[in-house]
Amino acid sequence: MNQLLQKYPQEIQTILAKYPADRKRSAVMPLLHLAQQEPGYITKQALQEIGEILEMPITDIDSIVGFYTLYHEQPGGRYHVQVCTDLPCALRGADEFLKQLCENIGIKVGETTPDGMVTIEEVKCLAGCHHAPMFQVQGDGDISYHEDQTVESAVELIAKLRDRKEAA
Amino acid sequence: MAKKLVTLRIDEHTLQVPEGMLVVDAARKVNVDIPVFCYHPKMDPVGMCRMCLVDVGRPVIDRATGEVVKEADGSPKIAFGPKLDTACTTPVSEGMVVITNSDKVRAARKEVVEFILTSHPLDCPVCDKGGECPLQNLTMAYGPGTSRFIFDEKMHLAKHVPLGELVWLDRERCIQCGRCVRFQHEVVDDPVIDFFHRGRSLEIITDSEPGFDSVFSGNTTDICPVGALTTADFRFGARPWEMVSAASLCSHCPVGCNITYNVRREAKTGGNMVIKRAMPRQNEGVNEIWMCDKGRLGYHFTESKQRLSEPLVRKGGELVPAGWDEALDLVAQKLREAGSSLTVLAGGRLSNEDLFNLRRLADAAGGQAVLDTHMGGGDLAALAVERGAALIVVNPNETRLDKFATHTLRYNPGELLLTFGGFLESAAGKVFAEAENALVFYGSNGLGLQQSTYLAYAAAELLVKTGHYGKANNGLIPVWPKANSQGAWDMGFRPASNLGDQLRQSKAVYIAASDPAGDDPALAAALDEAKFVIVQDLFLSETAKHADVVLPAAAYTEREGSFTSGDRRVQRYYPAATPRGLARPDFIITAQLAGRLGVELPAAAALVLDQIAAQVPAYAGLSYQKLAEVHEQWPIIGRSDVYYGGTGYENKHGLGVQLPCAAERGEKIDLPAAANPVLPSVPAGSLLVIPVARLYDQGATLRPTALLDGRIARAELALNPETAEKFGLQAGGEALIAAGGWRVQVAVRVDSHLPVGLGLVPRSTGVPVFGPTAVTIEPVQVEIKA
Repeated sequence: MNQLLQKYPQEIQTILAKYPADRKRSAVMPLLHLAQQEPGYITKQALQEIGEILEMPITDIDSIVGFYTLYHEQPGGRYHVQVCTDLPCALRGADEFLKQLCENIGIKVGETTPDGMVTIEEVKCLAGCHHAPMFQVQGDGDISYHEDQTVESAVELIAKLRDRKEAA
Repeated sequence: MAKKLVTLRIDEHTLQVPEGMLVVDAARKVNVDIPVFCYHPKMDPVGMCRMCLVDVGRPVIDRATGEVVKEADGSPKIAFGPKLDTACTTPVSEGMVVITNSDKVRAARKEVVEFILTSHPLDCPVCDKGGECPLQNLTMAYGPGTSRFIFDEKMHLAKHVPLGELVWLDRERCIQCGRCVRFQHEVVDDPVIDFFHRGRSLEIITDSEPGFDSVFSGNTTDICPVGALTTADFRFGARPWEMVSAASLCSHCPVGCNITYNVRREAKTGGNMVIKRAMPRQNEGVNEIWMCDKGRLGYHFTESKQRLSEPLVRKGGELVPAGWDEALDLVAQKLREAGSSLTVLAGGRLSNEDLFNLRRLADAAGGQAVLDTHMGGGDLAALAVERGAALIVVNPNETRLDKFATHTLRYNPGELLLTFGGFLESAAGKVFAEAENALVFYGSNGLGLQQSTYLAYAAAELLVKTGHYGKANNGLIPVWPKANSQGAWDMGFRPASNLGDQLRQSKAVYIAASDPAGDDPALAAALDEAKFVIVQDLFLSETAKHADVVLPAAAYTEREGSFTSGDRRVQRYYPAATPRGLARPDFIITAQLAGRLGVELPAAAALVLDQIAAQVPAYAGLSYQKLAEVHEQWPIIGRSDVYYGGTGYENKHGLGVQLPCAAERGEKIDLPAAANPVLPSVPAGSLLVIPVARLYDQGATLRPTALLDGRIARAELALNPETAEKFGLQAGGEALIAAGGWRVQVAVRVDSHLPVGLGLVPRSTGVPVFGPTAVTIEPVQVEIKA
């Protein structure tokens, strides 16, 4: 039984309707976002089910999940703090920023705070080089940019995120 | 229409090539090596690795006049780009000047190699690719002697990652060229491997079940420019420089893929030549530079411990070893006694030479030459794809071909010819009739001997009616179950309408490369009634166990010979390995027997072919020299530049000869009248099942390849969910199916793509279904253990 299809019949039809019937695979990205909504990551089963819906090889879908840092392969925190450390950002101190941020929070890159609220990740270009150090926060179905950051401002933001109780 | 030619200069060469050709290919034409990693001549360029950087200049055009600006000396003024260009993504243009050997270009290559090597393990001494590795060779040519990168900062990644059980990935060695991923997507259309993550974390993954689920997976190990992908078969098997090569053919199907066996002498086999791997050998008219995994891995039968190594003679009820003279003398005596009551039964994996000598022996005695096959119509193939053609697929069930078809027709097995009858009126039929060229490929999927014979008749009639015969790119191509079934027809072997009766009534039965008793228990019983049974084979098959004399045959890899492919290309193969024990080539055994009967038959392969050329009209003019002729093929592969085409082999030993069709020889073909095949009646409570072919079958020459155990066809009944429910069967369960004297337990597979009311059984899996058959079915109750 295709659980994804069962759970979101309306949403999936709306997404599929946006693309020509013989180009169904174009719907792979919105379907991945949909599948990620609840568990917070893409499960193996979701890969299978999206493959069935779009008649697409599972490996191709997995490859898309691997390419984009917006899709998560493993369970993580409610919020993903994704710091860009590509070359221009690194020249503006992003790598040192990330190192100190992690030390302050007490977790390593890729790890989640013990309360399960925040995961810190290192990602590729977020197109905000001139405002580095910068990061994006992904969670509660939303993405927000945080530019010209200092370790202090980031620590403060993460503390606020960890205090949130209900979804915004 | 021929493409416009453009003239350009590459280093000191001036050349003319078709418009649109890439600089890297144009350079190859004049033997200028432009190193590449990601580019491959059989795939679209991607310009990812940057190894092919060259300096490209183009004539300066005066914008006002549109004329080429001239230098003071009258030569055209050339403007070079500010940076180097990738030769693999730059098409040639008129007046272009390409420089590949300047210091600037060499410096760029050195830098690219240095980057690629930043995290490469450089474990060449233990790498299977070492010795034929593009990266190793290009590092020697352009790489820096020492690295400027810090050793401790090298990335270390997993070195033994199985992508399924056939291909292994070494992530550290991967240079992310994407050739393997592109091959599976572009060339094969089996997108079962892909990139995962980005940048330095990029890796190759597979999520298919089983892993890397593609029958062409082995080709990725040929085109991998490093040792990242290796076959489980050859991994740590031998070093490339220890092996010599022998030109050969694949013996598993009638496509006739040209291959090379790499062999070396090994102490553990007593100094014999042993096959270490099979590699594709280029033949652009057949397999290009690829081969399937069945061919690549399916040579292990030649080295099986079960191979017969000496003649056996039945004494006191037991088969006991005997000398060749004793065995042959006995057989000759029995053949003399049998006279014209001799049946020679041969399988389609024998060479033309074997079949010709066997036929001559049968003729000399006045006996029958019978082909062991469940597919007919080979006499019509003398009616002898362009890419981009319309493809019409006619099958009872969904197949992979449907995806590529422009028209797909389904038929009920009983109404096959009705489908043909109305075909010309259908949309697909109109396309067929109006096509400039049309080929019909027919096989025996779901059909028995009678049905496939009628199918061949109907297809032939269709081709004649629409004028698609007697000229190049037109006609009928049988897709045979065996490599040389076509050769067997051409040498005069025909299937028996009732093989059981034929065997029962023979005073002597001489069986070569065929296992009727193993295929069908009814034929095993028939054999026991035959007076004297001689079996010539590689193994002690079921049939051999019923024999009075067993003669050990050499495998095709241990001798020379020729096969005729389904599209009637005659190709020769050469000896690769040392014969097993006292085993002898089939045609020599037959010649030695014939000699004892006073019939002189040639005992050298080349001489047999000379006689074939003299006696079989379609083969007139053929000789081993002719079959060995080659001409230059494009792309040029297999030379010192392994980086360009991969480690496949250049064809130096023969492209084979396409036989002329009957009309070209001025022969008239009598078309037999087609009739609708008779289907068995299906009583209430029974199910019609049809036999289907599987690539990984349980044939005697594939079973010994243990590596394929997980993928080999098993005895199963595949049916639609609705049909399964009707018979009380469950997916993953077992069932007993029975018909006319046999009962077999099979696995149940449920597939919603199958037609309702029809069961599919794979051939070769021990279920004696050779054509549409009505069977009774009962579910097997599975005991649930507490």
